[in-house]
Amino acid sequence: MGNFLMIIIMAVFVNNFILVQFLGICPFLGVSKQTGNALGMGLAVTLVMTMTCLITYPIYQFILVPLGLQYLEIIVFIFVIASLVQMIEKFIKKFSPSLYNAMGVYLPLITTNCAVLGVAELVIDKAQMLSLLGIESMNIGVAVGYGFFAGVGFTLAIVLMSGLRQKIDKLDVAPALKGFPITMIAASFMAMAFYIFNMISIG
Amino acid sequence: MQSMIILSATIQWNKVGMVLGIIAGLAILFGILIIVVTKVCHIEEDEKVTAILSHLAGANCGGCGHSGCSGFAESLACGKACIGDCKVTSKEEKEIICKIAGIEMSDDEPTVAVVRCGGGVNAVDKFDYVGYEDCINQVVIMGGDKLCSTACLGGGTCVKVCPVGAIKIDGDGVAHVDKSICISCGACIGKCPKVVIDRIPAKAKVYVACNNHCKAKEVMSVCKVGCIGCGMCARSCPHGAITMVDNIPVFDYDKCTGCMTCVEKCPRNIIKVH
Repeated sequence: MGNFLMIIIMAVFVNNFILVQFLGICPFLGVSKQTGNALGMGLAVTLVMTMTCLITYPIYQFILVPLGLQYLEIIVFIFVIASLVQMIEKFIKKFSPSLYNAMGVYLPLITTNCAVLGVAELVIDKAQMLSLLGIESMNIGVAVGYGFFAGVGFTLAIVLMSGLRQKIDKLDVAPALKGFPITMIAASFMAMAFYIFNMISIG
Repeated sequence: MQSMIILSATIQWNKVGMVLGIIAGLAILFGILIIVVTKVCHIEEDEKVTAILSHLAGANCGGCGHSGCSGFAESLACGKACIGDCKVTSKEEKEIICKIAGIEMSDDEPTVAVVRCGGGVNAVDKFDYVGYEDCINQVVIMGGDKLCSTACLGGGTCVKVCPVGAIKIDGDGVAHVDKSICISCGACIGKCPKVVIDRIPAKAKVYVACNNHCKAKEVMSVCKVGCIGCGMCARSCPHGAITMVDNIPVFDYDKCTGCMTCVEKCPRNIIKVH
């Protein structure tokens, strides 16, 4: 239970993919104009992150490590993510059209999202994961859990940003800062706010 | 020569084979999986929809109430939407679409949007509004800052929503539609919180820039230019194109010849040349 809570806090807040690790910035700035779209994007990323961890972790541990081919990780992971997104898209289109409509065009877009590759790379880094979560051993459950909550963290950040942007759009901003610049400033303040989670020691 | 020796000495061919094997294996595995998933999850794509979509204007303005042209095409194909909802597509293209979809062609004439308010700075203020420059925000506080309940607030919600940039707010505090640019998509009509934007036929020469249906006394107390329903235009029209309905003149644009008699006779100058 303690480990589980640790994964949630670490993945969602302390190591938030967007605001602390600065991965997945393009959807964060590109798809955060409306809350509905942002939620669709977050949902799609969460789904793909979870599925990616579920598949890449065993491939790395049981194929690449015994053969000593760890350097193939990026090529293999990109491969897995790209095919996975294709399959998930077809699957959802068939069995849940409403979910497909909610995610819309964002599902194919995240094929090359660096946050997804980032989480796949992070969960195979055993030493970092162990020190990060303060646990003795790493297993696939932890990897998948971390992938899921990293996606939740991504969703949280992008939805918060979309809410802020909608408010900012209606404000009387100085002409030089109108539009994208003020968005970048708001994003930097959000990142600073999330950085505070790093100061909290969880014991 | 030297480099070739080093090259042949350092290549571990069994490793290269293993790497190629893993990549080829994964490629074949995922290739088969994708084919299987595609076959299992195959959905019949409606040819009608793609054919209709290719003939739509592709403005993606959202004026028809659908998320975009593809959504509208789907609704057209299954008969849920009316072709007349799209104001952007040309008549020739619409006829082709109707043939494909097997629906009746509704013979709508082209229209443009007009703002049914000429008040602006001439309309009496309820209070001084300071805040977000957006009608949707303004209307939250006591229905806007104008005493007239049907006045254009001039906050610019329609300006922002217009996909072609046909709407402008000039110094007089009222939105104006440029009829040469307007595609009559209806996006502004749906967004305006005061429902002050209306459609008129594109051929119309004049329109009434007021939609306050109150009697003369009430109108005069809230606006310097609002229509008082005196009926002068209806009486003076040589072609009988104007009838008074609820204190507001209504034009029959089939009869109107654009003689401008009503514009000259109107004591409040609220019948505007279009």
